[in-house]
Amino acid sequence: MYNFLFYFLIEVFGVLFMILSFGTVLIYFIIMVLSALEMRDFRRKNRFADYQDIITSPIAPGVSIIAPAFNEQANIVQNAQSLLSLHYGKFEVIIVNDGSKDSTLQQLVDSFELVKTAFAYHPEIETQAVRGVYRSSNTSFRRLIVIDKENGGKADALNAGINVASMELLACIDVDCILANDSITRMVRPFMEETNRKVIAVGGVIGIANNCDVKDGTVTQYRIPESTLGRFQVIEYFRAFLMGRMAWSRVNGLMLISGAFGFFKKDLVKAVGGYFPKTVGEDMELVVRMRRYMEEKNQKYRVAFVPDPLCWTEVPEDEAVLSRQRNRWMRGTIETLQLHRKIGLNPRYGFFGMISFSFWTIYEKLAPILELLGIAYTLVLVIIGDFSAVYFFALLTMIYLLSLLISVFSILYEQISYNNYKDKKDLRRLIWIILIEPFVLHPKVVFWGLQGHLDFIMGKGGWGKMIRTGFKSAEDKKNIQTQTGA
Amino acid sequence: MMRRVQLLSALFFLFFAAKGQELDSLFGDSLQLQQELIRQQTVANLSFQFRLLEEPDSGLDSLFHFQQTDSGWVSEKELNWAKLDSVYGILADYNPRLEYVIYQEIAGQNGLKNYLKTLIRTGDFVPGYYPDANTVDLVLEASKDVFQPLHEYKLRILADYKLFWVTVIVLFFLITAALMITSMLIFKSRRNKREQLKKEYDELIIEPLTSLLFEKDLEEIKQITKSDIIDLFPEKLFAKPLFKQVMIERIIGLNKKMKGDFKDKLKAFYKTAGLMEITRRNLESNRWDLITTGLVQVNEMDLSELLQEVKKHTNSSNFHVRSQSGATLLNVSSTVNLDFLRDQKYPLSEWQQLNYLRIIKFVHNTKSLELDKLFASENPSVRLFGIKLVRMLGRLDLLAGLRELSEKASDEEKIELLETYGTTGAHMEVDFINACIQSANPEVQLAAVKVAGQLGDERSLQLIIELFAQNPDFELKKSLMRSMKLLDSETFDRYTQDQYSEEIIQLRAHILDPLLTHV
Repeated sequence: MYNFLFYFLIEVFGVLFMILSFGTVLIYFIIMVLSALEMRDFRRKNRFADYQDIITSPIAPGVSIIAPAFNEQANIVQNAQSLLSLHYGKFEVIIVNDGSKDSTLQQLVDSFELVKTAFAYHPEIETQAVRGVYRSSNTSFRRLIVIDKENGGKADALNAGINVASMELLACIDVDCILANDSITRMVRPFMEETNRKVIAVGGVIGIANNCDVKDGTVTQYRIPESTLGRFQVIEYFRAFLMGRMAWSRVNGLMLISGAFGFFKKDLVKAVGGYFPKTVGEDMELVVRMRRYMEEKNQKYRVAFVPDPLCWTEVPEDEAVLSRQRNRWMRGTIETLQLHRKIGLNPRYGFFGMISFSFWTIYEKLAPILELLGIAYTLVLVIIGDFSAVYFFALLTMIYLLSLLISVFSILYEQISYNNYKDKKDLRRLIWIILIEPFVLHPKVVFWGLQGHLDFIMGKGGWGKMIRTGFKSAEDKKNIQTQTGA
Repeated sequence: MMRRVQLLSALFFLFFAAKGQELDSLFGDSLQLQQELIRQQTVANLSFQFRLLEEPDSGLDSLFHFQQTDSGWVSEKELNWAKLDSVYGILADYNPRLEYVIYQEIAGQNGLKNYLKTLIRTGDFVPGYYPDANTVDLVLEASKDVFQPLHEYKLRILADYKLFWVTVIVLFFLITAALMITSMLIFKSRRNKREQLKKEYDELIIEPLTSLLFEKDLEEIKQITKSDIIDLFPEKLFAKPLFKQVMIERIIGLNKKMKGDFKDKLKAFYKTAGLMEITRRNLESNRWDLITTGLVQVNEMDLSELLQEVKKHTNSSNFHVRSQSGATLLNVSSTVNLDFLRDQKYPLSEWQQLNYLRIIKFVHNTKSLELDKLFASENPSVRLFGIKLVRMLGRLDLLAGLRELSEKASDEEKIELLETYGTTGAHMEVDFINACIQSANPEVQLAAVKVAGQLGDERSLQLIIELFAQNPDFELKKSLMRSMKLLDSETFDRYTQDQYSEEIIQLRAHILDPLLTHV
């Protein structure tokens, strides 16, 4: 009986892995086609867009740029100056000092002639205590607002900024990001173009600034990073932004807007209760909650994506730092999907619930576990003598070539659209990384993902005990309580 | 169809009847049955024994191990039926009686028949089966036949269909990946080459074009012939579409920067060089991006000859086409008629409004724009744009039209109207503002309270005090206090000084802080 059951399970797993392999191939082919179509359309549309008009037009929406800062004394003044010099007519820069232990606030006060105001802070979204709101007595810095508050994490700092923001749109960014001068004009365009559905959020591409020359807040010379890890992330970012998000944007299935650079409709962010401070994946969680809100209200909406290179950041080239980052990303994904599991395969949420959510569950959340299971399955086959080397290597080759194809495709997109990496040597180096990535770097990413799962199970960086009032339905709170065991 | 079924039924009947007869003859004759058993050699759980009425001699007894019973001596059970004849021969002198044994029970003729019939049904007993003969025959038969495999595949990969498909997919991927990498490299080199060519063409174009503009007057340019153009630009290159594309881009670029005569000269050259035909072809294209390119060319080069073609696209289902055609009409047409905008079927996006506003701002001093036409549009987004235009262009002469519109305005329009009144300082609309302060829509109410601070009267102040007394939400309370202060500082002090409410104390401090005037 047990013998039969064992072989039955082996057969079932075999079929499941076969379906998963071919499903992966099919899905990534669809993604490639969709992203190609979207990229083509975007490039055509961009030819006719004159962004100069937006800068001064009274019709253009106002933008509140919110940048949380924690112990950023080294670069905070330079970063604030860079943000204040963006080319746009109606915007304010809100820097939130999230209880820094260094001289971040003092540096800002001294450099921008800031004075503590009598600002009546109304915590429409609950946050840690705000100690003061500062504005400059010098009109040259009239756009700058600095909030000084108790430490509460990035999401909490962003929520404080949202409470103070006075403009129609919110641009939530990492303070150390380098923004192109025309980044606001390009990002507000999707909000202004749509007529028959509400654009609730717009995501942008994050470029990798390591080893590049930066002048006046703009990357002037592109070079790929020196380290293999850095180069690997260049390919990874191309795949994620130029392929994945372009494709999901085409079918209005985007579930993630990078926390380093995202634009949102303020009224909707407030309606859903702002960022959720008890998750490490607050950026994804907010987008999912906003989409869920719109679906439940039966309102037409769109999450748009702008593939122009407008924001650059430095990525970790140290393995320990990168592993922590990936671990955190995985936990954030698990937490978000767990919290909103009601959406999964629920026809009420349409394409978002049936396709996007399922894709993220299988190909982002469960991917490391499935890969581990695949390895275990192969080992079992070897032990029981049912291992077919021919099939194994054929499937391995298939998946390897798929990965190769996807990566090459994403580089091709970059070359077609922006051609930033002009040096042929850079291209050859990237191709080399593509060839070795599945064997050298991918196993590490899987391992870090598994560590993320383990940490989530062990309760590291979980939901915590406090339930913020931002969640509207009792069921959400119940879900969180189940997670925390509270 | 029925006849076929009947025929088949008859055939089945005949087959089973023949089979039944064969079995009947087998079991009808005990000798034949014994012969069959001998031929079969063994039958599952069926053995035989002989019973003797007189005692056998010791030699036989040692051979067959007889056992004495009440009814005589019984030999040991034998499973091999092939021995039946030989055993019988040995015992023949004792007149032996053959007994069938099924399992351990002696069975009669009928019992044997029933048992064998059961075995036939289960397939354990096949009448006519001769094991020894079969082995020999099969080998012989096989040796006569030339071997032919069922699947005539030469490779294992082709014999295994799963492996075959995996291999096909792998090959497909391999080829696609190789093609992708190759095409990427080719694309990159072509792109670089194209960019290089564009630079070269641009250099070839700019010098003759500049000298043409500075050395020839307008009339001379208008009379330029094809041979003149060939003298200016290499004939082979002029025939190339990329060269013409670069030339159009260069002319448009220069046209943006230049003024007066130079603009006319560029336009004249654009026409004489046959570039307008490219623009016309673009406008007639089926591709939206080419149509939009054509519309941009008409707009930039002021090609009023093509306005009829442009008008065809004002209600296009493609956002970019209708947006650009509207902008082109506004810009190029000498007598701007806003009918096309009033009759827009599609909602006007903010992006379109932004583009139209830029052009209208530019032309409204030189061209007669009947903006009030927009107030009569059935498209709400066009009406809203009309209200915005009054505000943004400062057209106080159109306030009367807005009053008419305000009588049946939606809440969204009321908010826009309030903002327009606030910006233009329309004190005469205070009754509308006061009515909006009492609106059930909180957004309209908030907008009205804000405007009332600038334009309100005593009645407005009264309404504000009444609302303030109802302890509204934070945002409205802040606006009420701010407007109260603007309308009457004393009233503001009276209602906000010496308060126990922490919120009012905070808001008062906020409003009085000079750094927070507009926050």
